[in-house]
Amino acid sequence: MRHKVLSVRDISPTTYVLRLERNGFEFTPGQCVNLGLPGTGVNREYSTYSGAGSEFLEFLIKEVPEGTVSPKLRAATPGTEVDLHGPYGSFVLDPQKITNSKFVFIASGTGIAPFHSFVTSYPELDCQIIHGIRHAVDRCDIEDFDSDRLVTCVSREPLEGRQGRVTDYLKETSLETESFYYLCGNQAMIYDVYDLLRQGGVSGDKIFTEAFF
Amino acid sequence: MKIAISYPPIVNDQGQKAMVSQNRNVQFFKKPTYLLPVVHGQAASWLKNLGYDVLWDDGNAQLKDFDQWFRDLVAWRPDMVVFESTTPVMKFYWKLVDQLKSACPNCIVVMTGYHSMRRPEETLDRCQADIILRSNHIDFVLRKLVPYIDEHSNWRDHCPIEGLVIRRDEKDYLDTGNFKQIEPLDLSPDVDRDLVRWKDYAYENGNYLQVPGTYATSVIRDCMFGKCTFCRYNGPDLTFSMRSVEKSLDEYQRLVEDYGVREIFDDSGVWYRGAEARQFAKGIIDRGLHKKDCYFGFNTRFGYMDEETVALLAKANFRFLLIGMEASDEETLARLNKGYSLEDVEANLKLFTKYGLFPHLTIMVGYYWQTRKQLQQTVDTVKRLMFEGVARTLQVTLCTPLDFTPYHQECSEEGVLLTDDYDDFDMSKLIVKTPIPHDEYYAAIRDIYGVAFHPKFVGRQVQFLSRMRKSDWQFLFTYGTRAVRRVNQHVFNLTRHEGSPA
Ligand SMILES: Cc1cc2nc3c(=O)[nH]c(=O)nc-3n(C[C@H](O)[C@H](O)[C@H](O)COP(=O)(O)OP(=O)(O)OC[C@H]3O[C@@H](n4cnc5c(N)ncnc54)[C@H](O)[C@@H]3O)c2cc1C
Ligand code: SF4
Repeated sequence: MRHKVLSVRDISPTTYVLRLERNGFEFTPGQCVNLGLPGTGVNREYSTYSGAGSEFLEFLIKEVPEGTVSPKLRAATPGTEVDLHGPYGSFVLDPQKITNSKFVFIASGTGIAPFHSFVTSYPELDCQIIHGIRHAVDRCDIEDFDSDRLVTCVSREPLEGRQGRVTDYLKETSLETESFYYLCGNQAMIYDVYDLLRQGGVSGDKIFTEAFF
Repeated sequence: MKIAISYPPIVNDQGQKAMVSQNRNVQFFKKPTYLLPVVHGQAASWLKNLGYDVLWDDGNAQLKDFDQWFRDLVAWRPDMVVFESTTPVMKFYWKLVDQLKSACPNCIVVMTGYHSMRRPEETLDRCQADIILRSNHIDFVLRKLVPYIDEHSNWRDHCPIEGLVIRRDEKDYLDTGNFKQIEPLDLSPDVDRDLVRWKDYAYENGNYLQVPGTYATSVIRDCMFGKCTFCRYNGPDLTFSMRSVEKSLDEYQRLVEDYGVREIFDDSGVWYRGAEARQFAKGIIDRGLHKKDCYFGFNTRFGYMDEETVALLAKANFRFLLIGMEASDEETLARLNKGYSLEDVEANLKLFTKYGLFPHLTIMVGYYWQTRKQLQQTVDTVKRLMFEGVARTLQVTLCTPLDFTPYHQECSEEGVLLTDDYDDFDMSKLIVKTPIPHDEYYAAIRDIYGVAFHPKFVGRQVQFLSRMRKSDWQFLFTYGTRAVRRVNQHVFNLTRHEGSPA
C-alpha cells in the first residue's frame, strides 16, 4: 500500500517523526510495519508511534548515518510516496488486561515508539514509562506522556539532577512483581533489564520484548 | 554426567528417512540431505567445553538404522538424552521416549524444539519425558541446566532456571516461566566441528554449490523479521538475538583455513542486513577469505538487500542466497505477512543476478485460501523468473500448518484443517480445505519443477554457470546432477497423493 508523506519533523539531530497519510490503515498499537521507498526493493520495520485513533500515521525513527533506509525516509519531502506493508507483530497489549492491570514500559532510544502508541491509544492505561537515552535532546514528545508516569534516564549528561541508564534506575527501584513489563529497543538493554527484572522477582511470563537491533 | 544430543533415524512406510530441513521443518526423503542442527551443535560444544561427556548422536547423518542407533545409545549409558521435536514426528518421539525410559530408567529425557515448546504439557502427558524446554536457546538453557542437575539432587522440586517445564511426578509439572528471549550469542561457542563430525554433513546438501560445505554458527537466532505467519520464528515470545560480525568472521577464517571448506552457508532464519552485512563482506575481503576458493551463502528475505550491500557481497565471494518467495499474488503475500510486493521481488532478483549471485527461491502452494487464479499467477511468475534467468534454482513445498504457528492456529480457527493426526503433517500432502481440488496444486508443482528440464532454462543455466568466476565443469556437473536428483525426489514426494480424495 502506498502512503503519502505529510511531514518529517525533527526531534533531535538524530531522530525524527515521519508522518504519513492514514489511508484507512488499521493497526493494533505496538504492531510494526515495513516502510521503504517505491522501486528501491528495500524496506525496514518500524513500530507504530501514533495512536490507533489518530488521523495520520506516525513513526519515530532514528537516522542511522550509514544506514540504507532511515536516511532516505528522513530526506522524503511532503507528497513523496512510501510503500507500507503490515501491520504485524505481537508486541501488543492483551485487551483483557488493558483496564485492570499495571504495566511498566522500558525503552531505549526510539524503542519508546510503541509505548507512545499505547499511551495515546489507551489513555486509561495504568503504566509507568522508563526511557533510556544518551542526551537530553533525544527526549521525544514528552508532553504526550503524563509527567508523573515518565522517567527519563539520560546516560551521557545530567537531567534534572540525575544521570544514568535505565538499569541504574531499576536497581534503585523496588519492582512490582504483579505488573506486566514490556521491553523495547536495543538487545543489550533488553538483555540487562530482563536479568534485573528476574532478580527482582518478576516472572518470565510477565516480560515481553521487542528488539530493534 | 553423560549427555547425548540425539537424532534418531526415522523411516516412514515408504522407506523414506525424516530429515530436518529449512526452518527446522521435517520432511521425508528417500535419499536425504543432511542439515547440521546448529544450535544443538553449539549446546553440545558448550557442554563438552564445560567438561561433560557429550555424545553427538545423529543417527541419520551417521547412516545408522534405527535398531543399531538405539542399541548404541543404550550401550553408551547416557544420563541425559536431548531430542528435537516437530509436529510430524511427535508420535514417533513419544513412543521412542517410553522405549528409551524402559531401557534406561534413570536417564533424563529432555525435549527441545518448536512443537513441544508450544505444548509442553502435551508431551509430558503423552510420554515419560522429564523436561521440556520452552526456550529456543537450547545451548544457553542446557549450559545452565546440566550443571544444576549435576549439583542438585532435588532439581525437580526447585529449579531457578527459566523456560522449563519439569516433571515432578506422573501428573505434577513444574513450570519455571517464560524464557529469556535475548541471549548474548557471542558467549555460546562456535560449533565444535570435530565433535559433530562435520564431514557427515559436508556433501549432501542442496544449499552447497561446492563441497565440502558446512553451516556457520548462525549469526542471528530465529529471525530478525519473524512475522511470516507460517514460520516457526514467529511467536509472541520470540524475538531475535545477534552474534557479532567479528566473532563470526573468526569462525569463517578457521573453517576456510583449518578445515578447507569450500562453501559456508549460514542458516539463520534471515542473515544480517544493512550495516552488519556490509561490515561482514568487508571483513571477508580484508582477511583475504574471498580469494580462497570458498563460496558463502545465507537465507534472506526480499526487501533486506540494497545495491551497495549486494555488490560488496558478490565481491566477497558470496553466491547462494536462499529466499522464501512463497507466492506471487499480493493477497497471499499480505496474508502471510511477507512484508514485500512482487515489485520488490523482481527488483531484488535483478540486483542479485546482476552481481552474479545465485538466488534459490522457495515457493509454497496449497494455502487454504489459494484460488485457481492465484495459483496460476504463482506458476506463471516463477516460470518467467526462471526463464529470464533472475532466479537460478527453486524448491516448491506444500504449505503445511506446523508447530502451532499463527498459520496453524488460523487454520484451526477457520475450521479448514482436515486432520489432527500429527503424522499427517509431514508436508507430503495437503491437509487443509482449499477452494479448488488438491490435485490442481499437485499439478502446479509438477508444472513448476518442469522448468528444470526445459531446454530454454537449461541453456540459460549453463550460460550463467559458465560465467561464474570459476569455470569448474566438474562442479557444474556435480551440482547439476544433485539438483536434478533433488527435483525428481521433490516431484515424487509432493505429488504422490495426486488422485487421492481431498
Ligand atoms: C520489529 C522492529 C521494529 C523496529 N522499529 C523501529 C522504530 O520504530 N524506530 C526505529 O528507529 N527503528 C526501528 N527498527 C529498526 C529499523 O528497522 C532499522 O534497523 C533501522 O531504521 C536502520 O535501518 P537502515 O536501513 O537505515 O540501516 P541499515 O543499513 O540496515 O543498518 C543498520 C544499522 O543500524 C543500527 N540500528 C538499527 N536501528 C537502530 C536504532 N533504532 N537506533 C540506533 N541504531 C540502530 C543497527 O545496529 C545496524 O548497525 C525496528 C526494527 C525491528 C526489527
Ligand atoms: S523471513 Fe519469514 S519465513 Fe523467513 S525466517 Fe523470517 S519469519 Fe521465517
